Order: sequence, then structure tokens, then C-alpha cells
Amino acid sequence: MTWVTIGLSVGILLSMAVVLSYVLGWANIKFHVDVDPRVVSIMDALPGANCGGCGYVGCGEYAEAVVLEGEAVSKCVVGGQNCAADVARIMGVEVGEALPYRPVVHCGAHYEDRLGRHEYRGEQRCSAANLVAGVQGCTYGCLGFGDCVRACQFDAIHVVDGLATVDYESCVGCGACAKACPRNIISITPFKSAQVLAVACSNKDRGKNVMTVCKVGCIGCGACARISDLFVLEDNLSTINYDAYTDECTLDVMKACEKCPRKRLVFVGIPTREDLEKSRDLKAPDVVEPDFKTTVDDTEWRG
Amino acid sequence: MGYLVDIFLIAVGAALINNFVLYYFVGICPFIGVSRRVDMALGMGGAVTFVISIAAFLSWTLTTLVLMPGAPVTRWVAGFFMSADRAATVDLTILTYIVYIFVIASSVQFVEMYVRKFYPQLYKSFGVFLPLITTNCAILFACLVIMSHVVGVDNPAEAWGLGKSLVLGFFGGVGFTIAIVIMAGIREDLDLCDIPESFKGAAITLIIGGILAMAFMGFTGVDSGLRVALGGTP
Repeated sequence: MTWVTIGLSVGILLSMAVVLSYVLGWANIKFHVDVDPRVVSIMDALPGANCGGCGYVGCGEYAEAVVLEGEAVSKCVVGGQNCAADVARIMGVEVGEALPYRPVVHCGAHYEDRLGRHEYRGEQRCSAANLVAGVQGCTYGCLGFGDCVRACQFDAIHVVDGLATVDYESCVGCGACAKACPRNIISITPFKSAQVLAVACSNKDRGKNVMTVCKVGCIGCGACARISDLFVLEDNLSTINYDAYTDECTLDVMKACEKCPRKRLVFVGIPTREDLEKSRDLKAPDVVEPDFKTTVDDTEWRG
Repeated sequence: MGYLVDIFLIAVGAALINNFVLYYFVGICPFIGVSRRVDMALGMGGAVTFVISIAAFLSWTLTTLVLMPGAPVTRWVAGFFMSADRAATVDLTILTYIVYIFVIASSVQFVEMYVRKFYPQLYKSFGVFLPLITTNCAILFACLVIMSHVVGVDNPAEAWGLGKSLVLGFFGGVGFTIAIVIMAGIREDLDLCDIPESFKGAAITLIIGGILAMAFMGFTGVDSGLRVALGGTP
């Protein structure tokens, strides 16, 4: 009895294994779908995270789109440049220009530059302080409560003396800080070189009003726009046309930087070796953190 | 009439009263994982319904023909080694789990290949979900429920036939679809809500699943009421 049961169990499982593997093997040949070998090798080259960062459902769909629909090879944000190079090699095409995008804080005022500041004892967050009038004179500039710092998962942005400052060596350009900023002064900008020129102000008021709220804000004088076509004056604010921007700065651009009465045209990005050597002997001021202790708890809960 | 009432009650029971997800808490993994968007939840629900129906068919067939005591195939084979009376008592129900998993996984694999070859559009819409659920616990659970109604039933007349098993499988899948689509609808709205940091993601989803389960508790006892209303004995 026992031996018959054991024998039957073994026999049933063995025969099922034989029959099912035969059927599946037959189906594998019979229902074989011809897949472009490039799709398979691109699948291998991609990270396989299926994150959807490229805009497709998963890596498989993106690989198919590259082969069949001629999608750009540099869409994978996780794999980055190396992955794009691999995919391009498989497809036999050149990698298109894939610029790194990094955040630029369009404000240059530290605490001592801002006028009309008043003590704010509410919830210590930009999103809350932005709703209150009179926290500081400038209604465009950085509030310095660090919503962007909390949004950053890479510890790449910090509030230095009241001004959000990007650490470009840690930054990966995910854009979380730009989404978190309630005043929308962080823009994600194409970096054509390690450092790019940026306008460190976003105040759109007239020059006289800017002067009453800020010591360094752009007054919209248009000096830069007169010198170089790169700069366009919009709403009393100088902006840079990044499409026309090249990585080596021409003479008139440098002249515009020097000409700016408020010194608002600044280079941002990873410091070069010369910059580091130049500033090595300079004494950096101690960073003073604003420390308003209120009764408001520092948690996300808002009822 | 009695058979139709039974079928109806099994369907309502599997889809609503004893919903697989919200009453038994099986199949939580796809319920949490693929409930982010309503269209994806629908695709997942369709795939689960399909696989569960196949699994119900296969498990009923295999249990009745091979695994249960006195099953015809087993009795015939065992008859070569022992007397007919003893051959009728050979019990292979210990094999149910491994056989179910084995057969369901390979048949779904087969169907996936078939669909991929002949219906590429269908494959694109729910083919990606099929491998995710081949060995899901909701599928195995449906098989085991069917087995419990086939093997070891006191009154052989009450043992489930193929029809009832298929109804349980199909409507169990429908119940899963209902639950996951409700969940996806809530989660789409949840994206716009300000959720405390510690509750974000799976945590709030599980809490909502619990609240939904409490809502579905309201169906408890509906089956006996329905049976009386449809003229059966309670």
C-alpha cells in the first residue's frame, strides 16, 4: 500500500514533468516570436530597473522603441552616459548631445543683503512663510527655510547664510528642489560646461522697488543686454538665452559681467582647479544657521 | 433551480462576501504593487481572472481524476498492484500543492507564449502581468478551496462539479478586480493628498486596504439571506 502510494506519487510527478516540459518545449519552437537581436542586447545593456524614467513602461518597451521607432539612445536616466554609449554602439549610431541638467538658484541675496526682513515665528518652512506678507521685502527671493534642502535626497543643496546653495559635486539633477521651491526660483538649466553663467536674481519689479528690498538684486538696467545678444531683458529682469550659450565665453559676455552694476551675472557649477587655488588662502566666514525655535514641531503633519 | 441558486451564491460569495483580497487577505502583493493606476489595475484584474479560471479548471480536473481517493486514473494504475478494493483507497492528496503549482505555472507559461504569438496587442496590454501572478497565493488559494469541496466531502452528492469550480475561480478573479480597481481609484486621489511622511507608500495602502475590508464586512450574512429569498433552505 505505502509503496504503491510512493510509486504512484513519483510516477505522476515524473510523467507530468515529462509531458509538460515536452509541451512547453514544443510551444517554444512552435510559438517562437522573432525578436530583433538588437532588442535583446539593448535589454542587457540597460540597467533593468524598469523605473519608467525614459517615459516607457519598462526597459523592454524602451529597448523596442529604440530599435523599432528610432527613439533616442540617451533616454535612460539611470544608466547615464555609459549606458547611452553602449546602446549607441549596439544601434551603430552616435550618442546625441545629452546635456546634464542641474538646478540654478536664481537668487543671490544672503541675509545681510536683504532689506525689509521681519522676524517670522510661524512654521519654519518656505511654503508656509511664502503665504505670509512681510517676512522679507523681496517677494521673489529665497526665503531660506530650506524646503529644497528637505526635498533633496542627495544632500546636494544647503541653506548658506539664508540662501539656498547647490553643491554641484553631489547634485544629480533630479529636480526635486525646483519642485519644492514655492517661489519657483530654482530652474533646471542645461550645463554645457562644468560652470555656466546664470542670473542670480528673479525679481521682476522695477529697479527702484528692487533697490528698496535688496542690496544685490537685478534692477533691469539692461547694461548686459546692450553689450551682448546673449542677454534678454524680460519684465525688468535680465535672462540668459541658453540656446545661444556656448561653453567658452566671448569677450563681450565677460564685459557684460563686469559691467553689471549689481554683479548679478555669476558663474555657477563645479569649481575649477584655478578657482580652488585662488580661494585657498581666503578665510571663509563661519556659517551662521538661523535658529528660531518655535513651538511648531518639525514634522510634515499638517492635519 | 437548486443548482442555479448554488451557482449564484458561489459567484456572489467569491466576488463580494468572501472576497479573496478583502476577506481572506490573499493576493496582497499584486493588490499593493499594481494598484497605482486604474488602467493598470484593470489589466492586472483581467490577468488574475484569466489565470484563476484556468487554475480552477486544471485543479478540479486533476483532483477528480488523479489525486483524490478513488480517483479513476489512480485506481486503474493501482489496480495492477493490489486488489480493487484497496486500490480504491489510495490517497494522493498530499501531492495537491506541488501538482497545482506545477501545472498552473506551466499552463500559464504556455498560454503566455500562445498569446504572444497570435495576439500581440492583447499581450502588450496584459501579458506583462501574467508572469507576476502565475504562482500567486490567490491562485493557489482558489485551487485549495475547490479541493476542499471535492475531497473529503461527507455527502458525495454535495461535492462540487466542474461548473461550480469554474464559477468560483472566475468570480474570485472578478472580486479581485473589484477590490484592486477600487483601491487604484483611491490611490489616484491619494496622490493629491498630503500624507504624513511615515505613512507614505505601502503603509497608507495597507491601512486603506484594512478600511476597505471593514466596508466589505457589511456583506457578511448576505448569502444566507439570499438563499432564503431565492427559495432555498437556509
